[in-house]
Amino acid sequence: MDGRTFFRAFRDRGGKSGVSELVRLTDVTKVYQGGITGALNGVSVSVEKGEFTAIMGPSGSGKSTLLNMVAGLDRPTSGGVAVGGTDLGKLGEAGLARFRRDHIGFVFQFFYLLPNLTALENVLIPAQLKGNAATGRARALLERLGIKDVEDKYPARMSGGQQQRVAIARALINNPTLLLADEPTGALDTHTGEQVMELLGQVHRDGQTILLVTHDAKLATRHAARVISVMDGKIVDDARLESPERAPSDVIRVRGEEVSR
Amino acid sequence: MKAVLLKAIRDLRRRRLQAAVVFVTTLLAVGTGTIALTLIAQTSDPYQTAFEAQKGAHLVVDFDGRVDPGTLAGTPALIGASAFAGPYRATDMQFQSGGHKYTVTAIARDNPGGDVGQLRITGGRWPSSGTEIALTRSFVDLNHVVIGDKLKVLSVPQAPVLTVVGLVVDIDELRADVGGQQHAWVIESAFAPLTTKNSTFYQMDYRFASDPTSPQMQTYLDKLRASLPPDSITSSISYIFARTVFHISTQILIGVLVAFSVFALAATAAIVANLVTGIVISAYREIGIMKAVGFTPAQVIGVFVLQILVPTAAACVIGIPAAMVLSQPLLASNSQALGLAYQATYSPGLGLLALAGALVIVTVAAVIPAFRAGRLRPAIVIANASAPRGQSGRWIRTLASLARLPRPVVLGLGDAAARPVRAILTVLAVVLGVATVIVALGETRTFNEIYSYEGHVGKVDVVVAKTPAFADADATQLIDLQPETTRVVAQANTNITAHGIADPINTLTFRGDSGALGYLLTSGRWFSGPGEVVANGGFVHDAHLNLGDTFTGTVNGAALKLRIVGVVYDFTAGPGGHIMMLDWSTVAPAVPDLSPSSYMVTLKPGSNVGAYVKRLAAAQPDLLDVQAASTGNTAFLSVIAAVLLGIAGLIALIAVAGIFNTLLLTTRERVRDTATLKTLGMSPRQVIGMVAASAGFLALLGGLVAVPAGVELYRLLFDQLSALGGNVTPPVFYDVYATWELIAIPVAGVVVAIAAAMIPARWAARTNVVEVLHSE
Ligand SMILES: Nc1ncnc2c1ncn2[C@@H]1O[C@H](COP(=O)(O)OP(=O)(O)OP(=O)(O)O)[C@@H](O)[C@H]1O
Ligand SMILES: [Mg+2]
Repeated sequence: MDGRTFFRAFRDRGGKSGVSELVRLTDVTKVYQGGITGALNGVSVSVEKGEFTAIMGPSGSGKSTLLNMVAGLDRPTSGGVAVGGTDLGKLGEAGLARFRRDHIGFVFQFFYLLPNLTALENVLIPAQLKGNAATGRARALLERLGIKDVEDKYPARMSGGQQQRVAIARALINNPTLLLADEPTGALDTHTGEQVMELLGQVHRDGQTILLVTHDAKLATRHAARVISVMDGKIVDDARLESPERAPSDVIRVRGEEVSR
Repeated sequence: MKAVLLKAIRDLRRRRLQAAVVFVTTLLAVGTGTIALTLIAQTSDPYQTAFEAQKGAHLVVDFDGRVDPGTLAGTPALIGASAFAGPYRATDMQFQSGGHKYTVTAIARDNPGGDVGQLRITGGRWPSSGTEIALTRSFVDLNHVVIGDKLKVLSVPQAPVLTVVGLVVDIDELRADVGGQQHAWVIESAFAPLTTKNSTFYQMDYRFASDPTSPQMQTYLDKLRASLPPDSITSSISYIFARTVFHISTQILIGVLVAFSVFALAATAAIVANLVTGIVISAYREIGIMKAVGFTPAQVIGVFVLQILVPTAAACVIGIPAAMVLSQPLLASNSQALGLAYQATYSPGLGLLALAGALVIVTVAAVIPAFRAGRLRPAIVIANASAPRGQSGRWIRTLASLARLPRPVVLGLGDAAARPVRAILTVLAVVLGVATVIVALGETRTFNEIYSYEGHVGKVDVVVAKTPAFADADATQLIDLQPETTRVVAQANTNITAHGIADPINTLTFRGDSGALGYLLTSGRWFSGPGEVVANGGFVHDAHLNLGDTFTGTVNGAALKLRIVGVVYDFTAGPGGHIMMLDWSTVAPAVPDLSPSSYMVTLKPGSNVGAYVKRLAAAQPDLLDVQAASTGNTAFLSVIAAVLLGIAGLIALIAVAGIFNTLLLTTRERVRDTATLKTLGMSPRQVIGMVAASAGFLALLGGLVAVPAGVELYRLLFDQLSALGGNVTPPVFYDVYATWELIAIPVAGVVVAIAAAMIPARWAARTNVVEVLHSE
């Protein structure tokens, strides 16, 4: 992370919640149009800088919705979202776009690479939208993620794992304050999924704050130091694990995942 | 079948905007096409009907007054005419009405009926006393004379006054608005007072059992000429020439309409093909599902084609009857010129033809891309939401990146080229639109230029017409006395006959600095002395002459040795007509009483033309007709210009619809990519920039092709037009566009395209990322 991004992220930090608070959701409720119950119901949570947090929960519980709020992709029906001290509710559409460009990296389950751009071009997009040429850095990222050889390939010619790594590189190109990943292994086979998670773990060790949505408890617990469990739009559990690599069964119990079983 | 229909209608409802595009473009194309068809099918009817009903003369010949009328009575048998009328006594008569002076051919005739050349009285009655006159309807319409008006005859010293009592249609003369000298009729006993010594000539009407061809007419004239003393025939009009002249404005209109409706249909076909391709591409998964549930390939194609045919049929149902109604005034003007009560006619067969044509073209345009959907294998298409895209956008992105364009623009350019067929079809529509605008602009501009050239605009300020009763010397002295006068060119009209040309050639004889009149030469130079002649292309061609050739002309029984030194660009002689221009010194020795009929006067710069005209007219109110050199009657030109520009506007609109359509398809198809870009931080403005760049790029590409194509097409069309008057287009008429216009037109196209792009662009900018990605 370069100094400027660091400074911006922490410039407006409030004193009370400690030196390293990065994300703060205050009583966030989201009701979709036509939805009877809220997708999120009064969620309050904060995420600290440098954390690797996993969000778990059954299908339809509101995990993606939560992530979208943090990314500024959607606005809460009520409540507040602040990232790096910036109140997202105060930003307009263009402001949100700029915010995402500067502070957020997003990785999707289905990669969402632009099909008519090569791997390198895909990775460069966020930098170019800012008006930066970052070809050197993009190449370095591809190298670091082990996909140097697909640089000039189009997504249709890549495997799922390669596509997802390109997507991760694209998410990292602007040195985001926060990396959001919504089921990044959901469309991958187990082995490839593990490799991708390993990469995310590595990125985290290099200092990246990560917020990860996953179904897979084993993968979550292997890398994340904190696991937030969501059900019916509410946080039902928030566990900090002293050390990663805990037995998944312990965690599952703590988080009440068995309720859904 | 029911399933196909149901699916097609449901799809149609979902694709309302696309259906609207098809509807609008088809409406415009089918409308112009139907108008063209209606005009082609029905214009010739009224003239032909009138010609038969009035027993029109195939040939009208004027004979010199010295020919013995008894001899003339024998001429019909000589040339095998089945019926004839005349010889009628006739004379050129000048009169004044409402402050203007006109010249007509007054004919002595007691009875409007007869075996040949019957006259139809469309208003009032036939003259019954010596102070009454009948005029042609064509003349009256053009010059706003009405029944009851008193005409003061100026061509005889007694200046009798005649009352207009009847309006008549004479099928055998040229219509007034295209420039023929009109006939007028008085009873036999009233004729003598309208003549001066030697001013009487004879007119004969001949009719043949069947319609003669042009060469046959030529032979008849040659026979007549051979049987009579030299110079007995002073002029002649064939029914073919009269008919052509009668139809000329409609002919030009039809030519333009046909060309443009072909353009409009081509653009529509391009848009439809593009649309179906787009729907097939974006509905890939749906096609797979349709096939999986049992649609046969033919039924899949049927679903797509039906979606297009429904709005097409709707457009036809509205457009064809509307066009038929709209073409009525154009048809009516022809009938009215003939004094026929216009019966609005609607031909259902023609409507069906237009309907079938439109449906066939649209179906073909839709079926070809729909085939692709029919052939797809379900397993492949279900796995892909939409067709895989090509990579052809890459080189453009690379180039654009090298040009350091902002990334959204680069992405937009890549999008534009990502589907080459779509890009080509869109560019094609743009090319057609921009090219027609260029052609229409060029043609209207040259029409006006030709008109002002023929009217000597900027070269002559005042035209003074003189009655034969007023002496040339007096007129010249009067004009020279005016202090503003700087230049006077006198003009006399003479008829000169030349070997190999049947009719006497209308010859303009100039006295003074005629070179300053600014006649446009397509080759050679203006004459500079006795014996030198400038003629129109039609004459040079028909007399088999080349520049520099000499030939013998006969005037007043005297042979003149003449040499062609230049070819003049001319429309006044009409299709197949002949005209010559030469200097006074060439003709004067052979015609002792040669006297100008008009004087073209140029004033000192800054002179008050109005005051000059008033003063001169007041000096000789009866014997001179003084007019400011005007741009004259351009109604005919402005109708054509309005139609041309109107249709060009419509086709340009179709092109805009094409771009709009493509952007709609692209943005719909790209909705997920756009959502992804937005998560990556693309701002709404950048999204709009991206879509606008796509539009601008396609329009620019189209413009770059269309400008040279349009200019070339304009030249081709203009050559055709020139050829109509027997001319070769002089290069000056090729350069009617300023460089900035040729730049501004495609730039305007780009601006319009970007404006049209704003709807899909803003739609894309507003898409809710969460919803788009959620529905995946
Ligand atoms: N754009 C939307 N419009 C309407 N309802 C939505 C939308 N997005 C999500 N929902 C609804 O909101 C609730 C929460 O959805 P969300 O996508 O956040 O769940 P999730 O936990 O991510 O589920 P999954 O594990 O299946 O991805 C669900 O009931 C879903 O149907
Ligand atoms: Mg989800």
